[in-house]
Amino acid sequence: MTGPAADSPQDLTAAYALGALPPEEARRFEAFLATSAEARREVEEYREVAALLALAGAEPGSEAGPTLRDRVLARVADEKRRSPAGPVRPVATPRQSSAVWVALAASLLLALGLGAGLASARGRLAAVEAELAGRQAALARSQQQLAERQATLDAILEPGVQMFQLTSSGDPEPGIQLFWDRQRQLAIVHGYRLKPVPAGKAYQLWFIRDGAPVPSVTFKPGAAGGATVEAIPVPEGGAISAAAVTVEPEAGSAQPTSPIVMVGPLKRS
Amino acid sequence: MADAAAGAAPFGDGELVARAAQGDERAIGRLYDRYGAVLYAVAYRIVGQRADAEEVVLETLAQAWREASRFEAGRGSVAGWLTMMARSRALDLVRSRSRRDRITAMAAADRPGASPAMGEVRPDPSGALEHEERRRQVRQALDTLSPPQRRAIELAYFEGLSQSEIAERLQEPLGTVKTRVRLGMQKLRECLRPFYFERGT
Repeated sequence: MTGPAADSPQDLTAAYALGALPPEEARRFEAFLATSAEARREVEEYREVAALLALAGAEPGSEAGPTLRDRVLARVADEKRRSPAGPVRPVATPRQSSAVWVALAASLLLALGLGAGLASARGRLAAVEAELAGRQAALARSQQQLAERQATLDAILEPGVQMFQLTSSGDPEPGIQLFWDRQRQLAIVHGYRLKPVPAGKAYQLWFIRDGAPVPSVTFKPGAAGGATVEAIPVPEGGAISAAAVTVEPEAGSAQPTSPIVMVGPLKRS
Repeated sequence: MADAAAGAAPFGDGELVARAAQGDERAIGRLYDRYGAVLYAVAYRIVGQRADAEEVVLETLAQAWREASRFEAGRGSVAGWLTMMARSRALDLVRSRSRRDRITAMAAADRPGASPAMGEVRPDPSGALEHEERRRQVRQALDTLSPPQRRAIELAYFEGLSQSEIAERLQEPLGTVKTRVRLGMQKLRECLRPFYFERGT
């Protein structure tokens, strides 16, 4: 049997993502790729498949040595020292300050508003300013949230902090990430895409110690289903095997009064 | 809204890469905790021995550090980006090694540095569990392929052979190999879609 004279580009998507095209054919395919968003999506998806194939490479007993992590960090620290400016950074585009915009809008409106138009221009200017104030407030709120998120991220990047995932059975979302700082015996809980709770109720976290639930904090999701609680004491004495979440009265319960909605193992590495 | 952007998303790989791009090297440590085992697995399968596989992981994360700001969130997962770098570094190493070996005509003696495994690794425990489940799924998915399909895909991914080189190696017509790669990858995609690594965004 003979192959077709020429492959249609679509036929090459999987081979390209797998790295199985010779260089010149790969370049031709890339030219096609530039013209087709659908093909790009498909390549991205096949790349995810290829990334999973990496896992199939593992052979029993083949594990990196215990010093590799430290060597990686030493190498990165070394690169950082050699180029203290840090990694390549994208060029920041300076943002025009909003005061400039107000001034511009004002001068423009004043110029347009000669004579009889001036009063209505003033009215429009007031509307623009009100709109701007609203946007600035929203910007300040989101900057505040971003700063909080950055601060939390800072805390979870500390050495010795391990991440655990709590999931709801059969549903990839919502989820909770639990970061356990074993040095200080503190945890950070970060929930995302959480379902709203009924009035008067809240989510409650439980640590499972020696097979029994130990009550911990309660929290409510924000408008978009996010919730972050920091500095949660982890119960001492005994073996902590898991964390779970139930829906309880706002004040919290001493024992769970409803079924578990999310759970995840907290195994020691 | 802001809440959606900052409040209701998991702390993810994309944020770690962004952190690295800002010069925070702890983020690379965390990426190692999550994906060191995956990178080591693909590197080991390609280079076949421990010291070189570790070198590949080291070089890959150093490259990730240098190029963190070029990572395009939304164009695929961080895991995909990292494994692609590790695979190509490992293949480069094998190619340069075979050149080197031809020159020195060395026997396939075990090389210094390839000491047997000892001590414990410290992977992110949840990551390890996740990888274990994914690994099982990948193996199951590979088992659904016909042996020739599987062979063609493995030769492409782990040995870096082009489709024509695979055809030559297996003494099969090129068209047959192309069909196997395409159908095999389609099948893997169907099986593995729920198990992709976390997206970069």
